[in-house]
Amino acid sequence: MNARTLFLSIVFLFTAATLLPARADEASELMSASHQAYYYAADGGHARVEMTLVDKKGRTRAREFWMLRRDITDMGDQRYFIYFIKPADVMGTTFLVHKKVEGNDDRWLYLPSLDLVKRIATDDRGSSFMGSDFRYEDVSGRLPVLDNHEIIGAGQALDRPVAKVRSTPKDPKTADYAYRINWIDDATKLPLREEYFDKNDELFRVFEVGKLEDVEGIVTATERTMSNVKKGSRTLLTFSDLTYETKLEAKDFSERLLKNPPREYTR
Amino acid sequence: MNSSNPRIVDFAVRHPKWVVGAALLITVLLAIPIPTARIDTDPENMLRADEPVRVIHSRIKDEFNLADYLVVGFTGEENILTEDFTHRLGLLVERIEQIRGVVADDILAPSTVDDIYRTPDGALVVGRLTDERTGWAEQPSIAAKVAENPVLRGKLASEDGRVVALYIPLEEKRFAASVAEQITAEMAAIGGFANYHITGLPIAQQVFGTEMFKQMGISAPMAGVLIFLLMLFFFRNPRVVAAPMILAIMTVVWTMGLLILLGFPVHIMSSMIPIFLMPIAVLNSIHILSEFHERYQKSKSQKEAILSTMRELYKPMIFTSLTTVVGFGALISAGIPPVRVFGAFVALGVAIAWLLSVTFNPAFAVLLPKKTLSKFGRREDSDSAMAHRLVRLGRFAVARRWPVLVGTVAALLVATYGISRIVVNDNPTKWFKPSHPIRIAEQELGRHLAGTYMAYLEFDASDTEDGSVKNPETLLYMEGLQRRLESLPQVGATTGIADIVKKVRYELKDGASDAYAVPDNSAEIAQELFLYEVAGGDPEDLYKFITPDGDKAVLWIQLRDGDNQAVAAMVAAAEEYMDSVPRPAGMRFDWGGLTYINIIWQQKMVVGMRNALLGSFAVVLVMMVFLLRSIPLGLISMLPLTVTIAMVYGLVGLTGKPYDMPIAVLSSLTLGLSVDFAIHFLKRGQEIYKRRKNAAATLEDLFQEPARAIARNIVVIALGFVPLLFSELMPYVTVGAFFLAIMALSGAATFLILPALLSLRGEKAYVPWGARSATWQERPLAAAPVSKEA
Repeated sequence: MNARTLFLSIVFLFTAATLLPARADEASELMSASHQAYYYAADGGHARVEMTLVDKKGRTRAREFWMLRRDITDMGDQRYFIYFIKPADVMGTTFLVHKKVEGNDDRWLYLPSLDLVKRIATDDRGSSFMGSDFRYEDVSGRLPVLDNHEIIGAGQALDRPVAKVRSTPKDPKTADYAYRINWIDDATKLPLREEYFDKNDELFRVFEVGKLEDVEGIVTATERTMSNVKKGSRTLLTFSDLTYETKLEAKDFSERLLKNPPREYTR
Repeated sequence: MNSSNPRIVDFAVRHPKWVVGAALLITVLLAIPIPTARIDTDPENMLRADEPVRVIHSRIKDEFNLADYLVVGFTGEENILTEDFTHRLGLLVERIEQIRGVVADDILAPSTVDDIYRTPDGALVVGRLTDERTGWAEQPSIAAKVAENPVLRGKLASEDGRVVALYIPLEEKRFAASVAEQITAEMAAIGGFANYHITGLPIAQQVFGTEMFKQMGISAPMAGVLIFLLMLFFFRNPRVVAAPMILAIMTVVWTMGLLILLGFPVHIMSSMIPIFLMPIAVLNSIHILSEFHERYQKSKSQKEAILSTMRELYKPMIFTSLTTVVGFGALISAGIPPVRVFGAFVALGVAIAWLLSVTFNPAFAVLLPKKTLSKFGRREDSDSAMAHRLVRLGRFAVARRWPVLVGTVAALLVATYGISRIVVNDNPTKWFKPSHPIRIAEQELGRHLAGTYMAYLEFDASDTEDGSVKNPETLLYMEGLQRRLESLPQVGATTGIADIVKKVRYELKDGASDAYAVPDNSAEIAQELFLYEVAGGDPEDLYKFITPDGDKAVLWIQLRDGDNQAVAAMVAAAEEYMDSVPRPAGMRFDWGGLTYINIIWQQKMVVGMRNALLGSFAVVLVMMVFLLRSIPLGLISMLPLTVTIAMVYGLVGLTGKPYDMPIAVLSSLTLGLSVDFAIHFLKRGQEIYKRRKNAAATLEDLFQEPARAIARNIVVIALGFVPLLFSELMPYVTVGAFFLAIMALSGAATFLILPALLSLRGEKAYVPWGARSATWQERPLAAAPVSKEA
């Protein structure tokens, strides 16, 4: 080993040592930005969502619903309202979620056939979102502070440059995965792909964005797929009639809304 | 008497080394594929893969994601679902999820299944049964929650919590043993699992496969050794007795080698081929040895003795072999693939045994060093205790022919009564002895849970008016059927989509007393099922009872009793309900489940075996008439086997032993073996009569060497298979017991009924038709039959 290589090695080691914590901070910041971009765009809005569930045998089921969102604060509590259109026999069923950053969410379901509102208690955010391959956490967001983040490289998704971030839960009990790899779009900070790995380092779930669209100046993922690699099933969400205008205030997301949804959704 | 032997025998005697060498070479070559045998212990394979019932069963399994489960059961004196044990159980399940071959997502355990309930403040929860449970004492026990959930009740835990079960679905059945082993290891690692049982169909099948190999590896050779010792006792010369032993082994190796070479799997049926072939293979050899034994000391020439022996025995041996081939070959007509393979290859084995008997046996006899034979046959055979007894037996049968015949008729009457009481029943789990861990597990879990046997009844609404089962009419119909089935003693529980709807509705309506019922409109049904999913329930739970489209639904029928009889009675009750209560128009139904498959193959088995037996009986009768050239003698020859079969099956009926798979198959063996005795007795009677020209003297002679050979066969076969009685597998025990009974009965029938009838017919008895017509004019009672064939 000559003097030059020795010098270079020392420089490299120093750089690496100083760079690592910086990159960890950078990673956390990136994930926060991503969380904000994906879950808190504007102050809310609504979309007509088509949900297609494909099981491992290729059998499909279609669901369709309106989804309304209103944020209380950025990166904070949110209100969601869902009005089901399809399948026909559940049309008019509504679902209200008060998402809380601290503590359990409040959820209510209204069944038109019984004209009954029922509070649903779920302390399990890992449970399936309406029987799909998405979990509640995928729809309402997992707090970035629950994981340790690390940028592990760069790559491409949807022909766009992305940063790859590895997120590892600080408390393994809070997640059903051992770690996940996020593909974060450099330009919009939206997650374009997520890969979930289990304890045995095996991939079991993949999230993919299929299409980005400009909606009122905000780039939005309008096609999202969650695949359960192990089960062989997948769920596709397609967003249409998107707007970030909000007509309803946070206080309107009440039990009354469940029974009396705005006319524009029930038509 | 014709002095020339068939060419094949002459050839063997002229080229003994060549024959023995070739036989050994073929044996070695055919032994090569044996280690590559594919074992098939799947009872489903009792039916062809394209059999409608199997196709439907697979479709139902596929459509509703029903796997083959390993059941891990825990038992205790009191409620074992304590906080500590539930925690351990949860830990165990987490580890089981990591085991290769386990479908982790579909494990049914307290920590993985969803329960529907209300929190104290009235919120609805669809969540894990054991999740987030604080304050154990204040909450209803887990066992109580299981008891209140119609989907989990009777499956996951008993109401008192004394029995708890985990259901571990396997990707493939072949993982059963290794998964069970790893579960045992994990239990030991975690600790605190005292009384547990591992059972379930996949493990039962694998254990059965292992035991089967043991039987082939231990019982069959043990039977071989015992047969060898018995023959040694009779013939006192190990080298001479080696011949039939080598011949039996070669027969088994050739047959099994060909079976495996042709790509057939070794099924429970084909695993018994060696055990069936062993006695059949030594039968001919014992006759040859007996005769050779008597003749050798007279001629002192090996060649001379063996040639004259073969002359005397060649014809009877062809016929005994042919009748046995017919008996087993008839099984090919049965609609059950393993039985057809079994029948075909035993028939082939019998043919191989015959070929070796007429080639290998004489060649071996010629090759024996003279020294070996110096003492052989010296001892006067006719002077043994057995010989004296046989002579007395013959005289008794003649002197008391009327009592003997009246006794025969009486025995036949009793047997007929017994046969009328035969109960057709089977249960593959009961192929294990009652003391086997699998049987014990079955009993322990069956007693407290709703049973470990499952049948599925699928309803298909694709052709109904709304094309869906999610309507009150269908659910009420299915619910009514469930109530009817649950009133049967053998049904432990039934589960269907109506139970989930009712449970959701009950919890939705805060446990109102009238809420536990099927709703009166389709929208409510759909919304309640939808709620189950929206509230966080695993949709896969629903799809085990209803298709995602809602066009089909399946009822799970859990049985405490897996006997075919109990299952058939349940099916009959269900179909009676469906005939009397009108179904929604266009609604179709189909049965699935291994228990249902079992009753279908049993029906096929009973009908198939009866037809095979009747068919081969007719064929053998015709063969006997032609062999003996006498219709009366042909009919007489069928009597011992008729009496034997009637009495064996009469006994089965009288003792209440169910008529199951091995018993059905044994009818062929009975036919094949007991007609052999009659052939030897009567054919040789004809030969002797030609020499002695006197009926009484012929009978006296028949009770000399021919009777001794038959008696030796009886003893060798009956006792040779005693080791089977100690097998862990009931089919083998049954076969062992049957060999004993068949030998004893057909021996008695041959020695008593044949001489009684022959003495009744007097001088006419042995005369074949050709001879009688030729001598009819001059002397009706021909003293010297001049059969051109003889």
